[in-house]
Amino acid sequence: MTTIEHEVLDLNNPAPELPPSSSLTARGVSAWFGDHKVLERVNLDMPAGEVTALIGPSGCGKSTFLRILNRMHELVPSATLSGTIALDGDDIYRGDIPVTEMRRRIGMVFQKPNPFPAMTVSENVIAGLKLSGVKATKSDRRDLVESCLQRAGLWNEVKNRLGAAGGALSGGQQQRLCIARALAVKPSVLLMDEPCSALDPTSTRRIEETIAEIAHEVTIVIVTHNMQQAHRVSNTAAFFLAGEGEPGHIVESGDTETLFTNPADPRTLDYVNGRFG
Amino acid sequence: MQVIDPSIALEGTTPIEEERVRPVTRRTGADRAFRLTTFGAGTLTLVLMGVIGLFLLVRSWSAISAAGLSFFTTSAWQPDGGAFGIAAVLLGTFLIAFVALGFAVPLAAGGALFITDYAPSKIKTPLVWLVDLLAAVPSLIYGLWGRAYLQPKIIPISEWISTHLGFIPFLKAKPGAGFAASTFIAGVVVALMVLPICTAVMREVFSQAPAGEKEGALALGGTRWGVVRDVVLPFGRGGMVGASMLGLGRALGETIAVTLIISPTFDITRLTHPLETGGNSIASLIALRFSESSSFGISALMAAGLALFVITLLVNAVASLVVSRSRSGASTEI
Repeated sequence: MTTIEHEVLDLNNPAPELPPSSSLTARGVSAWFGDHKVLERVNLDMPAGEVTALIGPSGCGKSTFLRILNRMHELVPSATLSGTIALDGDDIYRGDIPVTEMRRRIGMVFQKPNPFPAMTVSENVIAGLKLSGVKATKSDRRDLVESCLQRAGLWNEVKNRLGAAGGALSGGQQQRLCIARALAVKPSVLLMDEPCSALDPTSTRRIEETIAEIAHEVTIVIVTHNMQQAHRVSNTAAFFLAGEGEPGHIVESGDTETLFTNPADPRTLDYVNGRFG
Repeated sequence: MQVIDPSIALEGTTPIEEERVRPVTRRTGADRAFRLTTFGAGTLTLVLMGVIGLFLLVRSWSAISAAGLSFFTTSAWQPDGGAFGIAAVLLGTFLIAFVALGFAVPLAAGGALFITDYAPSKIKTPLVWLVDLLAAVPSLIYGLWGRAYLQPKIIPISEWISTHLGFIPFLKAKPGAGFAASTFIAGVVVALMVLPICTAVMREVFSQAPAGEKEGALALGGTRWGVVRDVVLPFGRGGMVGASMLGLGRALGETIAVTLIISPTFDITRLTHPLETGGNSIASLIALRFSESSSFGISALMAAGLALFVITLLVNAVASLVVSRSRSGASTEI
């Protein structure tokens, strides 16, 4: 199993009090919506402290797989699954960890920025503390707001308007606010579901920088349709594909560089070179 | 380069107005017929409202002109004796409505939240039916049931409140005072009658809480209650106010159940002690007195009716204003 070595060795880690990042392991994961099978026996290791990119054409089950990783999948009434997901070896579906505690450790950033519009920028950042009933002093909260906004690369833009409504920021700022909000509960894994698909190129670049900055402190799993982005930000990648009328599966996974330059499967080469999908 | 000054070019001529295009739409016969029908139906509703108001105003005019402003300050109701006014009945009407809302709003909010955010999907639909079915029970039945079944059960509660919370002046009962046929009991029954509409509107509002924000809260490790507190309730606030106002509109006009339960009083001191025997409302005053009034007495009752009509219109207008201005209400129709 993966170790947390690079975490300990990283001398640049600006927040040594952070919990070490965790590994996620999927074994034999299949998923259904009602009788419709959307995912077929997926095995994937998402190593601690690395960025794993999930790529593949629309409808191949990447987002479903991502939502299985923090039990968001089960919120859809007809959704079911089989297989195991382990967070540092603990099975998240079989009661090893309470679901709220697990979701705190495996944060998520969604495709569409979803800050809480009735809350201010600061309140949005610390919303996770309130939601999970964590008490913090006023100065702790202020420090947390600043450090999380710093890490999400948003601090300089909003430091003078922390009291503004979260919904008043631009789309790219809202998405970074959501990243700050997710970081504030100190997750050891961060799932990102096409976090840049609704954003312009400048905001996208800003978020990619953010990913690069936080990657050494938190394991990241990112779904993206942007091949260049996957290539730029990730260490590991997995290529999902679904045949006509068949559930999605992983064609191949492994080191990002290899997957993009010298993949084992010709379909991977075609896809990463934009020849289909 | 030569610059042409338009004012020189146009010298001696009046500036020409650009002619705006007025888009022409040709309507088919069926389209025209349909427009006419819907326009007619819409207008008819407004005309009816106006006619009702006008009718009340005309029929009540002799009483209003006789009483003048004292109509609003007199609490007794003896039109033929010359002293009559809505001070007492108006107060009684609002007291019953407030007691009703005091029970109905929290119950409706809880019920609506249970249906939208907690109930397993299997029992959701039956629950919605059941709550809506409450609205189908005739108010007379509520009145009979309230008087025969509920009242004996509530009296001990009234006594308990009066004894233990008597330090709040209006809850303290005078020694020897009875607790039957009170504003409080009438309010509880009316609460049941406004519950369906309040629940329906709140359920509608809560169910529209954005799924993205709810998932965002869950993904932060939020519990269901956390999601309700931080996403659903802030989103639904405007809709809840609107639902309460709609309920208020209904409660103000409720007639037969209140008439069956209260023992009418025009005594302001007794009215302001809602736990004690005695209450009143405009609607039940009209229901009780209508068949036994002189023509002047009927005119006075019409004036009371006009007051009720105007108040309920205002309450409903404010309700729709509040709802349509709020984030949750913008897409909700009431």
